[in-house]
Amino acid sequence: MKRTFSNRFWAALLAAAFLLCAGAALLLWRTPGARTVARITVDGRVVREIDLTAVTAEASFTVQTPGGVNTVTVRPGGICVSEADCPDHVCVKQGWLEGGAVPIVCLPHRLVISLVSGGDGDAPDAVSG
Amino acid sequence: MQTRRLTRDAMLTSVALIIFVIEAQLPPLTSIPGIRMGLANIITVYAVFAVGAADAAVILAARILLGTIFAGSLSTLMYSAAGGCLCLLAMLALKRVLTERQMWAASVIGAAAHNAGQIAVAVAVTGTIGLLAYLPVLLASGMTAGLFTGLCAQALTKRIGGRR
Amino acid sequence: MCLLALCLPAAARADDSRTFFAMDTVMTVTVPGGSEALLSACEDEVRRLEALFSVTDESSEIARLNAEGRAVLSDETAALLGGALDAAALTDGALDVTLYPVVRAWGFTTGDYRVPDDGELAALLALVGWQQVTLEDGEASLPPGVMVDLGSVAKGFASDRLAALLRGSGVTSALIDLGGNIYCLGAKRNGSAWRIGVRDPDGSGEYIGVVAVTDKAVVTSGSYERFFVAKDGTVYGHIFDPATGRPAESGIVSATVIGPCGFQCDALTTALYVMGLERAEALLETLEGVDALLVDAEGELWATGGLRETFTPMGAYSAAAIHWIR
Repeated sequence: MKRTFSNRFWAALLAAAFLLCAGAALLLWRTPGARTVARITVDGRVVREIDLTAVTAEASFTVQTPGGVNTVTVRPGGICVSEADCPDHVCVKQGWLEGGAVPIVCLPHRLVISLVSGGDGDAPDAVSG
Repeated sequence: MQTRRLTRDAMLTSVALIIFVIEAQLPPLTSIPGIRMGLANIITVYAVFAVGAADAAVILAARILLGTIFAGSLSTLMYSAAGGCLCLLAMLALKRVLTERQMWAASVIGAAAHNAGQIAVAVAVTGTIGLLAYLPVLLASGMTAGLFTGLCAQALTKRIGGRR
Repeated sequence: MCLLALCLPAAARADDSRTFFAMDTVMTVTVPGGSEALLSACEDEVRRLEALFSVTDESSEIARLNAEGRAVLSDETAALLGGALDAAALTDGALDVTLYPVVRAWGFTTGDYRVPDDGELAALLALVGWQQVTLEDGEASLPPGVMVDLGSVAKGFASDRLAALLRGSGVTSALIDLGGNIYCLGAKRNGSAWRIGVRDPDGSGEYIGVVAVTDKAVVTSGSYERFFVAKDGTVYGHIFDPATGRPAESGIVSATVIGPCGFQCDALTTALYVMGLERAEALLETLEGVDALLVDAEGELWATGGLRETFTPMGAYSAAAIHWIR
């Protein structure tokens, strides 16, 4: 006879785990933080960083990746992928990233756009490279 | 009874494959990458409890490979394989402490393991730790979907009988 | 880790800066206390220069020169092309603005990356050579098939122009960031030097360190800025060696030049990157008034003496030994 637990035990355990995840998801999605610099990485390498607080008008540019091209659009405080030649277009559907901790990701192109905090007192005034 | 076993596994594989291909044709539920119903997992859950570890693994592997050929791409194969592997291992481990009436719990935890595997691959592929921020929402949605597929598998077992 | 970031205070909003996209990169001009009109003038100036130099815009002077083999150039284009040819002579061809046919064959202009075979490269290399460009009294001419691309020096040149424009308007403190080509006009308003981070070539987004500068340009070149990964996993960077027609693999993975002229810094970073340590050292021995910081493939730092007081290594490099060049 194998050792088993009651249905109620499993229900309670998994419900608790679910609530924890759902809560964390909401927190990561909604909470605006001090993250104002958009960091674009391709294949894990930083290809561009944009201080979204310095953006004054909506503008677009392209990012070339080994898999194809993503068109990225920024506006004051926000960034999104507006066009892409990837198969699923999930990156475009994710819409605007504005302060949340959950990055925009285009898995076929290995492109990730995440927000990082915009500098503390020790940060340089600009970065060369 | 080799023929019987072969027929049974082939049938389960094809049912899973049909479900998988049909689901792949449906528009995505949300704009968040990786969130799916995962209905083909009904067969995996059923197989884990009804036909045993080795056969369940064969059925899952065949479904993932053929599913990739019919409705996926090489890059999605990595995600399916890592997720499917972890999901199967988790369910096989849980089977030791679960009854057939608790399949849903195995399915929920299996789905969560699947999502963990996917995220691990995504982090490795993109080289970006920040993708872990997706984990909570994927786990929450995966557990919901897992509950549904688990209950389906349970209903299936009830209709066509358990271990065979 | 993510939760920690939530607790940090919001960064101050920079109202006196403008970010825009030009020359295929992100540019930010910051003028403390500067007016909207002044920032607009800066953006307009960059766009005007881009319309002259762009190799892809068919109506630009450079595109017309490439298409017709001959063109009368504006003062700006002539100055930039002339400067680029002087830099080619100074660097023994390590900086060569006639590489365009090769770069195009590799797909770096369109994003359709591929690796040309040896025969194709040999044919294209016959079209490469800065000596083939004639520039006399503002009129340039090229032999058939030869094409120029000023992309490797245009941003440095533009930063000098913006600095001149701002100085002419009475500005004494400004930070010009043209896609990582930095020009620091004067000092910060509080009198301290501008602190410019130098990007770590490993692509992590961290810095090698920080240089403190006033009235100087800081320009860095590295293949991490733009590259592609071939099917066999080889990484090809966007800085080409004019001698081979292939992405330069000189052992230098990042070259930074700090000096009073943005154009010169821009030209030298590319050249030093292509030249490799030995030739770079020899060139730097002969140059006055500019400083350089090189990172080799082993992660070791090489720097000129002028950086002894102004460069502070950081992060993974904070304990690194620096080899001093002069």
